[in-house]
Amino acid sequence: MKFKAFLIENGVNLLERRFLPALEKMGKICHIFLTRDHAIFLHNLLNGDGIQCIAQFRKEALFDDYRISSQNEDRIAFAIDVSLLQRAVRSSVSICSEFGGGPAENRLQIKLVKKLPPNCTQPMPFLTFETKGYKSAVIQDVPISKPLSRAQVLELQTALDLAQDLPPTLVQVPELNQLQSFIDRMKHIGELLNVFISKYGDLHVQISTTLITLGAEFQKLLVIGDRAQSPPEDHNLSARTRSERAVLRGDAQSVQVSVKHFWKSLQCHLAKPDCAFYGIAPQGACLTVIFQFFIPGTHQIDKSISLHCRLPVLDPGSN
Amino acid sequence: MSSSVAEPDAPDLVCQIDNVQGMVDALSAVRWKRNQDAVVELSEHGLVLVVEDTGCLQAKVYLKRELFVRYDYSAHGRPRFGLSLGLFVDCLNTFSVPGQSSTLEIQYPGPDMQLLLRSVDTLGACIYAEIRTRIPETISWDYNFEPAGSTPLSFTVKSAALKEAIDDLEWPGSSIQITLQPDPPCVTFRSEGHGDLQIDFMYHANPDLLNAFQCDHQVAYKYKYKFLRATTSNLPGSVIKDNRGSKLTIGRGGILKVQHLVSVARMSNPQAHIVSAGYQQPSRIAYIEFFLKPEEDADT
Repeated sequence: MKFKAFLIENGVNLLERRFLPALEKMGKICHIFLTRDHAIFLHNLLNGDGIQCIAQFRKEALFDDYRISSQNEDRIAFAIDVSLLQRAVRSSVSICSEFGGGPAENRLQIKLVKKLPPNCTQPMPFLTFETKGYKSAVIQDVPISKPLSRAQVLELQTALDLAQDLPPTLVQVPELNQLQSFIDRMKHIGELLNVFISKYGDLHVQISTTLITLGAEFQKLLVIGDRAQSPPEDHNLSARTRSERAVLRGDAQSVQVSVKHFWKSLQCHLAKPDCAFYGIAPQGACLTVIFQFFIPGTHQIDKSISLHCRLPVLDPGSN
Repeated sequence: MSSSVAEPDAPDLVCQIDNVQGMVDALSAVRWKRNQDAVVELSEHGLVLVVEDTGCLQAKVYLKRELFVRYDYSAHGRPRFGLSLGLFVDCLNTFSVPGQSSTLEIQYPGPDMQLLLRSVDTLGACIYAEIRTRIPETISWDYNFEPAGSTPLSFTVKSAALKEAIDDLEWPGSSIQITLQPDPPCVTFRSEGHGDLQIDFMYHANPDLLNAFQCDHQVAYKYKYKFLRATTSNLPGSVIKDNRGSKLTIGRGGILKVQHLVSVARMSNPQAHIVSAGYQQPSRIAYIEFFLKPEEDADT
């Protein structure tokens, strides 16, 4: 089992300034899944109850001279502490810039190693960052879990394949910041959030407790997938009635998720996506958020990067 | 009475405010603990919110109708309802978008006696809330605040200095004696307990700090620290920044009245807010009053 690659400048920027800060908010530990073509960061795909987050990069987006080999079709997966990874990348960057020269000279190599740590008898696996400066080299070892077994990798791959299903209707959130500031304030009120998404382009979020109902409705959003015209007689109704009628008509779906999970999904804005879409999976299986990234300077979707979250749906009757 | 014609099923009140943060600030000032029940009284003059603690401390927030951009009152009598202050403030807070002016509409009652709130001027996004109200309990004590004599016993001190002094008095003990003496004119906060701490505001020495002072005979009363602290513990940042005066008056029987002014100026022009600090139009101010019963008769 071998992995060795050089992080390119763009890859370092993507990870250090954008993705790792966002992934850190999703949870302390994530899985890194490396294949011949992709590097994938996964949260909660193997243990079911939290928010699932999948950040996938084509190898060219992060690395050059990418070499991987394993007996499991060149696939390697392991768990890592995101904040340690972030610290290692960050200090490697500062070393690179400190010791002068351009990124071409100071290449940041990353590889999997087994080392015998002090006071240990068993060698342990590490993800090692090696930065060669002008006169010195700095090596940082980030501890990782034992690489996942063949069965676990298969399980991870299956979960990943299942997580690729697209909701039939996706609505684009116009202002992620606005929604985030709203949810920031709303999370003091209650723990469960009802989310309605309609084919008319409505996104309606609502917290309801015995003492208070608080909600926000965003209308006329861009719709991808199944869409419909909202009936004119609905226009003057309250947000709640409109949502209920749309659900009855089969033009909308609603799910209940944890406010905390929803808030976490909004933290993905740290990865600086260019747009965000919310949708409900068929049968209300989960609430999906898909973030898109444009090729810099264009409005074309950068297909080498993808980020999406799946929020578990809570059973309304269980609490 | 109100401008609107009272229809049979018109709500008692529909009002709109364009500075939600100002309202949040004013109400937060009387939020000294986690769970507080408040009573709201509506009238043609505005809204009054009252909170109490164990019959010893009462606070009132006056939101006059001039603070609202629209105020349609069509009730007979003065409707009152109870609600959770914390929930109300947290809920209002969601309507206040930082850096943006937003107009909030408040309506009472809803079809099920709820308090209804909704944002009215936001394009594309509508925020709404329904807060369940209760039948209010009667106010447990009527504080009948009356002047102690022919000359009111009062002083006005910079809000930030008052807060700092009260914060500093935390360590010595649980009760604070406030003494006013006419000659030399001076206000003393004294606390005895684990140690002694005395803070003097000398009228002639610190005219900037103590803006006004009225006292014709020496008085001294003791107040529970936790109640005294409640009067300044949650003063909004804007009050400390504007640093206008807070007025303290001792009434008959030693009841202490503490008054603060909270600016509810329009948010649209922050420059104007700074320039006009101190010249705030009276109509854009929310008044906050605390009434504090003394611990015991210690009049000397």
